[in-house]
This record gives sequence, structure tokens and C-alpha cells, in this order.
Amino acid sequence: MRKETSKATAKKKEKPPKPKFNMWQNAWWMLKLSWAEKEKKVPILCILSAALAISGNLTNLFITPVILGTVEIHAPLRTLLLTILGFVGLNLLINGVSSYINANEMYGKITLRSAIINRLNTKACITSYPNLNKKDFQELLDKACDATRGNDRASEAIWYTMQRVLQNAAGFVIYLFLMSALPPILIVVVLITSLLNYFISKPLNNYSYKHKEELSKILNQLGYLLNTAKDHTMAKDIRLFGLRPWFQELQDKAIKAYLAYLMREQNVLIWSGIADLVLAFLRNGVAYAYLIGLVLNNGISISMFLLYFSAVGSFNGWVSGILNSLLTMHRQSVDISIIREVLEYSEPFRIKDGEPLRAEPEHPYEIRLDHVSFRYPEAEKDTLTDIDLTLHPGEKLAIVGLNGAGKTTLVKLLCGLLDPTQGRVLLDGRDIREYNRRDYYKLFSAVFQDFSLLAATIAANVAQSEEDIDMERVRECVAKASLTEKIESLPEGYETKLNREIHLDAVMLSGGETQRLMLARALYKNGPVVVLDEPTAALDPIAESDLYQKYSEMTTHRSSVYISHRLASTRFCDRIILISDGRIAEEGTHETLLQKGAAYAELFEVQSRYYREEEPANV
Amino acid sequence: MSEKTPKKAKKDLLSWKETWIQCLRALKLFYHYRPNMLLIHTFYTIYTALTPFVNIFLSARIIEELSGDRDPQKLMLLVLLTLGLAALLSFIGALTRRQFKVEDQFLFCLERQIRADKMLRMDYCLVDDTKIHEQLDTLEQYCNGAGRSLRRVIWFYDMILSGIVSLFGGFSLSISLFTSRVPESAGRLTALNHPLFIVLMIGLLLAVTYLSPIFIVKADAVWSKGANSHNLGNRLFGFYGFLGHKNNVAGDVRMYRQEAFCEKYNTDKKGTFYSRGYYAMQARGAVGMYYVASTIFSVIFTGVVYLFVCSKAWAGAFGLGMVTQYISTISKLSGKVSSLFQVLGQARNHATFLKMNFDFLDIENTMIQGDLHLDKSSDKKYEIEFQDVSFRYPGSEQYALRHVNMKLRVGQRLAVVGQNGSGKTTFIKLLCRLYDPTEGVILLNGTDIRQYNYEEYLSIFSVVFQDFRLTDFTLGQNVAAKEEYDKTHVEDCLCKAGFDERLRELPLGMETYLTKNFSDEGVDMSGGEKQKIALARTLYKNAPFIILDEPTAALDPIAEAEIYSRFNEIIEDKTAIYISHRLSSCRFCDGILVFDKGAVVQQGSHDSLMQDSSGKYHELWFAQAQYYANN
Repeated sequence: MRKETSKATAKKKEKPPKPKFNMWQNAWWMLKLSWAEKEKKVPILCILSAALAISGNLTNLFITPVILGTVEIHAPLRTLLLTILGFVGLNLLINGVSSYINANEMYGKITLRSAIINRLNTKACITSYPNLNKKDFQELLDKACDATRGNDRASEAIWYTMQRVLQNAAGFVIYLFLMSALPPILIVVVLITSLLNYFISKPLNNYSYKHKEELSKILNQLGYLLNTAKDHTMAKDIRLFGLRPWFQELQDKAIKAYLAYLMREQNVLIWSGIADLVLAFLRNGVAYAYLIGLVLNNGISISMFLLYFSAVGSFNGWVSGILNSLLTMHRQSVDISIIREVLEYSEPFRIKDGEPLRAEPEHPYEIRLDHVSFRYPEAEKDTLTDIDLTLHPGEKLAIVGLNGAGKTTLVKLLCGLLDPTQGRVLLDGRDIREYNRRDYYKLFSAVFQDFSLLAATIAANVAQSEEDIDMERVRECVAKASLTEKIESLPEGYETKLNREIHLDAVMLSGGETQRLMLARALYKNGPVVVLDEPTAALDPIAESDLYQKYSEMTTHRSSVYISHRLASTRFCDRIILISDGRIAEEGTHETLLQKGAAYAELFEVQSRYYREEEPANV
Repeated sequence: MSEKTPKKAKKDLLSWKETWIQCLRALKLFYHYRPNMLLIHTFYTIYTALTPFVNIFLSARIIEELSGDRDPQKLMLLVLLTLGLAALLSFIGALTRRQFKVEDQFLFCLERQIRADKMLRMDYCLVDDTKIHEQLDTLEQYCNGAGRSLRRVIWFYDMILSGIVSLFGGFSLSISLFTSRVPESAGRLTALNHPLFIVLMIGLLLAVTYLSPIFIVKADAVWSKGANSHNLGNRLFGFYGFLGHKNNVAGDVRMYRQEAFCEKYNTDKKGTFYSRGYYAMQARGAVGMYYVASTIFSVIFTGVVYLFVCSKAWAGAFGLGMVTQYISTISKLSGKVSSLFQVLGQARNHATFLKMNFDFLDIENTMIQGDLHLDKSSDKKYEIEFQDVSFRYPGSEQYALRHVNMKLRVGQRLAVVGQNGSGKTTFIKLLCRLYDPTEGVILLNGTDIRQYNYEEYLSIFSVVFQDFRLTDFTLGQNVAAKEEYDKTHVEDCLCKAGFDERLRELPLGMETYLTKNFSDEGVDMSGGEKQKIALARTLYKNAPFIILDEPTAALDPIAEAEIYSRFNEIIEDKTAIYISHRLSSCRFCDGILVFDKGAVVQQGSHDSLMQDSSGKYHELWFAQAQYYANN
């Protein structure tokens, strides 16, 4: 499967890769989805709606001719009135039920779309981390995501399309039967004009489809400008650097481009309208000529004339309806196929199977990087080369190095977010690739530089759950992270919601406070290995110092890995390694490394020189 | 979702008069931005409302001829006329439709543009106000999620216009229904000639067209009422439905297995939109029934029209051709008229949301805009003085700054230090006049800064804020903050900011887009690199005051030291203000301001401040320096 897709991307954009699943497979998949999600009502309502639409159409087809016929032959008044009442009753039933279904059918479809979104999101949350850096996975994921963005996107709209296919096909068959009384020539004329119309319009209507990328480029820029203008986090820079005239100039340009695109599109589409009116002229001309002939020569009644004339119009509608809905369904099916490809994307890690692992807080785990090298896909050289490193049980390890030296990559290898290109990562001597990777993640209480704050309460963010929160433990961890005072000063305390973009009554924590909250979360998780990546960047000197003081208390009985630019922090660690050019350049304690007088000592000197009491060196 | 949504008084309907005023204002606003758009809408709407009646009229003539004389010659003529005219009308329709479609599709952007414009022109202190961006967010959520948009007024306009025009067209084709008389031979049915029937029919038409939409309006009101929880539902869904797509937090998501948290939200069928949510429940009950009731009224009305028309025809008042004409006309008319009333009701429901839009657009800038010009001849000899400045953020009781007094002369280097939340950044915001002081004054060369032309005043500052933002455009454009720029100057600034090496690595150089948003060859810069670009941008602006808020937080020690060592070169003869948690940077500065809880507690040089061992500066310094002391 992987080979296929990469070959397809190699062919570049000229021809989109052939979807993996065909239209009928995807329709079946959607049906199965509705069953699995207990939303059987969705396909049932689709069928019901289609049936009602056809009944409504038939009633309307017959109502005027039949009533007219009754008037024409001057049937008894009673018959006329009963006929009218009969039709009205029928219409009441059909329209009444239709409106009720109309008002209700949307919700099941939305539920199913959100079920798809949920599956995609879960896949994105748990998929092997390296997949996220694969271009084809990202592209598929973006497209799949786009196909779920709104009611009009494939993942929801395909239900309406399937309904239309069904409805038009059934309508077609019924009308074929109805019109069998007429000579086939009329049917042939309708078929020919509808087919002609379809084949003329198809390439024209394709314009928007073919120029999708052009349009999205224009809209992307316009959308960016409009959003940036509104973005309050950008407001300071806009004002101080006088960006407004520039933005407005770009905005005007983008709007012009957008309008020009829309006009071009309409200039193409107008031909479809013109073809339509010419063909309607022809079709109706033939129908009129033929049916009037029947009235004049064969003596069919006026009501029959009306019936057949409307039938010709409707029949045309069914034929083009079938063609157009199949075309739409084909397009939407491509999107559904992409969604399925994402869901079935292959996993290099064992995320579903593999040896189960229980992360026991008291267990002395040893993690060893056994001659590990790592190179990012498509990179020219290794980010890390031949790293041999053991994190002993209970050890406090510091990793230092310049920006871009590979510190973060090393941590990702250790945590099992990446697998080495060469060598192995061993947990108590066993290759971590054998374990279920999601179980392996349980070992780590990590604070990374970018963290994922949930739109939920403070307590839920610490506990990472909204049920069964151990409040005692939450308080304890918050206290260890020195955040108690702040949280208890909030009116709603631990129940305060976070993320103001989602919850209007939420509270904004400062960068430093959020960092401490993430620390509390790591402590609550109580994983046997603590990983801290630059946890003090947003802290002021006093808060920073406070964190250093508490560091050893937080990491008792556990192994820990600490990454920092600030060399002050490394003093609390049992061992320091300095990464340079993808290798471990130096290793030892703070004192031994200073004595060595090499790279670490130099870094320390650079950072500490201004803190010392003697005059600063030449600036 | 156990969410408690604040129940605001959104359900209050505005009066009809108020509705009218709001709608008219909205139309005027659109007219102001795009006069042609309204013209095109008007023409197209009238045109499309009238054309169907032409066809109804002519088709009826064919039936009439068929049921009467059946003159083949005349029939052919009629058919050709009907088809030819239909083709011609469709052709003109297709031509006007082009422009209509363009304008219609553009409306969405236009509405966004109106709001974006407003934000660009708003005083910073308003833009920064959480209340105001919440107001905007709410507005946009109503607009995007619930269709409660400004542009919906255009749709109302089209529908109302179309309804009124159809009324005229419809009446002109159906008036003879009432005037043509049942012949005396029809016996009892002559009663149909009684004028009471005219009153009855029109009364019925009005009653039904009034009643039927009432239910739709009621259903619409349920949506309006639910809009609050609707918005929250949308926001939660937007967050939890797509958490896995945020690549920057992917590691964290995996370590804490947050997919479980997401699934809980994403599969909750009781969520606002889902099959057991608020709207679905309403649709199953009252709302569904409103729709049914509305349909039933329409059907009954059509039934009555059928009865009246057919009895009259049966009695011999008119022929079959007229029957088809009346029936088609009145069904068309009843649809149009009931949507007319529906729209009126919806417009009234909608007026509250229009008002919300205008409440936002009407927010007035309150900053005093002086017109004094900066004295250019003074050759950058600026002196700034804070005189007893205190400041509270709007809506806050607490002072963020208290009684700040300080003086700053050109060419000085000033360090601002203090703990998180001590007022450092607020001080900078006042200095750059993003906010005005609550009490006290800030003077530039002895004159209150509010008296200067605002844009000119801003032009003397160049700032790297802690939370600075760059655009997704090219590197060069970001540094120059405009479309066309002086390449050598940009390069020079990038070099000074320590970006020279990285610049040489970029194949597209200054033409490189930042981020991949606009170009696949774009480059995502690291935090440290962005900081350097932002620094280069402040240098390019070449303003007499340079302000740097934590400019080295994302840099490693070597890069940090490099910036420090180039400091003099970077700053040249400008005045620099420097905020940092790394107190080592204070040593470069002529003066240090120490903030604590909103007040300046110490002021002086590093050496003089270090003398006071009980002072805040000493405390801060040692909190950090202890770890760097030589053992």
C-alpha cells in the first residue's frame, strides 16, 4: 500500500492518484458506518425521503390534468370536489411527512460526520509519530480533514447524493413505464437532449473542480489577510510597524484576483446555461409539436396533453438527475476513499499489538540507547550519530547543547516518539519495538516545550481526565509545582476552566503559570521516568530558582532527563552530557566537566561571566 | 456536555421599527462598500420574479386554443412564441446571472472585510480588551455557525423584493378569476359571482400566508435561542475534533494519551448538533411540528384555490386555458407570499444579531488624537518623562502601574527588570502609547504625548515584544514591513541581528516565505531564528527608540552572548530599553528600573543597586547568580 501511494506522488500533480476504493465500496462503507454508530435511521430516512419525493412528484404530475379532465368532461360536481379533496389529502400526507423528515434528517448525518472526524482525530492522535512527518500522510490527512469540514463536504453530503441517485433512478424507471403509452420517439428525444446537455455541461461545470487549487490559493491569501487583520495577538506589530497600508494594499489585490476568478468561472458556466436553453427549446418544440398533433389528429384530451407535456419535462429531470448525481457521487467518493486511506494508513510502530507493558512507578527501569543513529527522512546527514547512553534507574541526567545540536531528537528517541535509523533503544535490555508503543508512553512524565493544554478545568488538565479525579493528588501535585496560591486565588479554584477561545468564562494563565501546571500534570501521571525540556524558559529568576530547589524532591525514586539552555540547572543532575554535532561530546558531572575546561566549561563561562562580581569582560 | 451556558437576554425580540432600522443600516453599509452589488441584486431579483409569469400566461393560451378553435396556424405561432420567448428570457437571465453569482459569492468575503477593516482601525487598547475580542468571536460564531450574519440582510432584501414583484405579476394574471362571471344557466353556482368570494379568497390568502410562516418563524426562533449552546458546541467540536492535527503538540498528545479525552467529547450524542442533542430533540418535537403545520396550511390554501377555480370553470365562467393559468399563478403566488411573510418574521428574529454587529462596528475610538507634529529639526533629540503615571487596565480594579516617575534621554540604555506580572510590559505599552495612563502624564520633550499626531509618535519606537508576530510573507517583506524594500538595508539589518549565516543557507534568500502557507518552498523558522528576524525588523525601522522585551529567551547561550556583544553596534546612537529575565544583560545598561507589584522600587546603575542588599534587585540577581558562581 505504501509503495503505491509514493509512486502516485512521484507522478506529481498532473493526475491525481486513482482512489483506492471505488464508489460502490465507499457507499457500502458509509452504510456500515451508520450501522456501527447506531445511526441506522440515516439510510432509512434517505430511502423514505426519496420515496416521498417521487410520490410528491407523481401527485403533482397528475393533479392538474386529472382535475382538468373532470372539468373537461363535465363530470358531476360531486366527483370534481371529491377528486380535488382526494388530491389535497394526498398532498397533505406527503408534504406533511416530508417536512417532518426534512426537519429531522440532518442530525443523524451530522452525528455520522462527527464519527468520521472522531476516527480521523483518534488516528492522528495515536498514529506512529514519524507518520506525522511524512508528506503523503499529511496531505491525505489534510484532504480527509477538509472533506469533513462542513455539512456540504463529502462525509456528510454523500448521503444526500446517494438519496438523489436512488430517487432519480426510481423516478426514471417509473416514468419509463408511464410514458410507454407514448411512441418511443419522444423518449428518445428526451434522452438525447439530456445526454447532450450533460456532456456539454460536464466539462464546463468541471471548471471549478479543475481550478480548485487556483481558487484555494487566492482564498488562502485573502483569508490570511482578513484573519491577520482581526487577530488581536498581531495588533501590536501591525500598529507599531505601520502594517495597515501594506495589508490593505494586499487585501485589495487579493479581492481583485478573487472577483476576476469568479467572473472567469461564470463566463465559462454561462455556456452551460445557453446549451440548456437551446436544448430546452428543441425538446419542448418536439414535445409540443408531437402532442398537439395527437390532440388535433388522434383526439386525445386536453388533460392527457397536459399530463404528457409535464411528464416529458419531469422525465428530462430524472435523466439529468441520474447523470449529475452520479457525477457528484463519484467526486465525493474520492474524498471518502481518502478518509479510508488515512484510517488504514500503515503503522511502523506497534500501536495496537505488541507486548503489553505496565508502567510501575516504583520499578527501577533502565533505558539504554545502544549505538543509536538517527536521520530524518530526506535529510542529508544524521542528526544523531552513534549515541551510546544508559539512563540508569533513579539517575538524574542533564542534556545540554546549542540550538539544533539534537537534544530534542535524543529525547524523542528515548520516549519512543522516533525509532532509531541504526541501533536500538532498550528497556531493561529489551528492544522497545517489541512493546506496545502506547503502553511504553505510560512510562514517561514529560513536560515538552510545546504542550497540549485541554479546553477543560484545571483539575481535568492535571488529571487528564474528567472522571475519577483524585483531588487529593491533584492538590499535592499542584503544590509541588508551586501553583497552589495562584489556583486557590481563583474564584472557581480547581474547577476554573482553561482556554478562553473555547470557554468564555475561562481564565488565562501566564506562560510561567502554564509551565508549572504542565509540571503538576507530569507529577500526577507519576510515570517512572521524568522528562523536562526547557521547563524554565518562561519563568522569572525567583520562580526559576524555586523550581531548581524542588527538582530533586519532584524526582525522588525516579529517573529523570533534563534539557536546558541554562547551565545553572545542570548542577542538580548526577550526570551531564553535552551534545554537539549529533554526538555526545562530553560527559560527566558539573565539576568534572568544568575541570576538563572544554566545550561545557566554555558554555558555562559565557553564561556566567556577567553574573560574577568582577567587571564584565570586554563587550 | 455538562456545560452551563450563560443565558443572556438574547431572546428579546426587537420591535418592528427597530428591525427596519437595523436592516436598512445593514443595506446602507453594503451599499457603501459595493454600490453595484445592490443594483445587480435588485435587477436580477425583479427579473427572475417576473419571468415565470410570462410562461404561465403563454402556456395557458396554448391550452385555450387547443380546447377552443384548434387553429393549427395559430397554434404553431403560439408554440413558437412561447418557446422563443422562453429561450430569450433565459438568455437574458443567464447573462445577468453571471454578475449576480459573482456578487453573491463575494458577499461572504465582503462581510469579513468589513469586520477586518474595523479591527485594523480600532485603538489598540480596545483591540486588546478581552471583552471586545470576545464580542467579535461571538459575532463570528453566530455568523458562521448559525447563519446569523450581516449578509443575511441581502437575502432578506432579495426575498422581500421578489415577493412584492410576484404579487404584482400574480395579481395581473389572476384578477380576471374574480371578474369573469359564472353564467346564469349554472343555477345555484351563480353564488360564486358574489363579491363576498373575492373578499373570502383574499382573506384566506392573507390568513394562510400569515399563518403558515408563523410556524417557520417559531422554528427559526428555536435556533436563535439555541445559538448560545450552538456556539459552545461548535467551539468544543473545533477543539476536540481536531486536536490530533496539531503537529506541534503531537508528542504531548501521545505521552498523555489525550485521544481518550477527545473521544469522550466527539462521540457524545447529546452534544448540541448530534442525534440526541438539543436541536435534534426540538426537531423531533415542537420544531418538526411547526414545519408540518406550516406545510399543511399551504396545502390547504392551494386546495381551496383549486376548489374555487374548478367550480367556477365547471359552472362555465371560463375555459380550460384559464384554469391552468389561475392554478399555476396562484400556486406560484402563494409560495412567494408565504416566503415573503416568513422572511419578515425571520428578519425580526435576525435583527437582534444585526444589532450585535452594529454594536461592534459602532465601538468608538477613545484615544485623543493630537495633531502636533514631531519636531524633526531636533535631530532625534528626544527626552521622555513619566510624571506620576498610574494605570489600570480597562475593567480592572487593580492598578497595573502605580506612581511611576522616570526620565529617559536619547542615547541611554535602560534595563527593566522584575518578576512576572510586576508591570514591565505594561510600562512599555504606555511608553509606546498603546495605552494612555489612567493618571499622570507622559511627556515627550516636555509636551504631553497625547498632543502629538499618533502615527508620528509611534514612528519613533521600534519594538520586539515578547509575543511578537511575523507574517507569512517573505523574509525581506517581514523585515521591511512592506511590499517593496531596500535589499541592502534588509541584509544589513539581518546581519546585525545575527541572522547572516542562516540567510546564506536559504536558497531563495530574502525571497523565502516564512512558513509554508503561501509557498511550498517556504521555511518554518525556529523560535530563535524568528527572534532574530524580529530584531532585524526593529533595526530596519531605524527609529530613535528601540525596545526589546525578552529578546534572547529562545536563544542558546552562545547566540545570546553574541547578541549581547553586538549590542553597541546594534543600538548605535539610539535609545534602548531592554526587558529581560536574564539579569546578566543589565550590566550593559546605563540605568536599571526595578519593578515590583506595579511600582518602580529601585532605579540606578547595576553597581549602585547591588549596594542595597535588602533591595529587590539584589534578591533577583542572587536568585540567578548563585548558580553561576565559581565554586
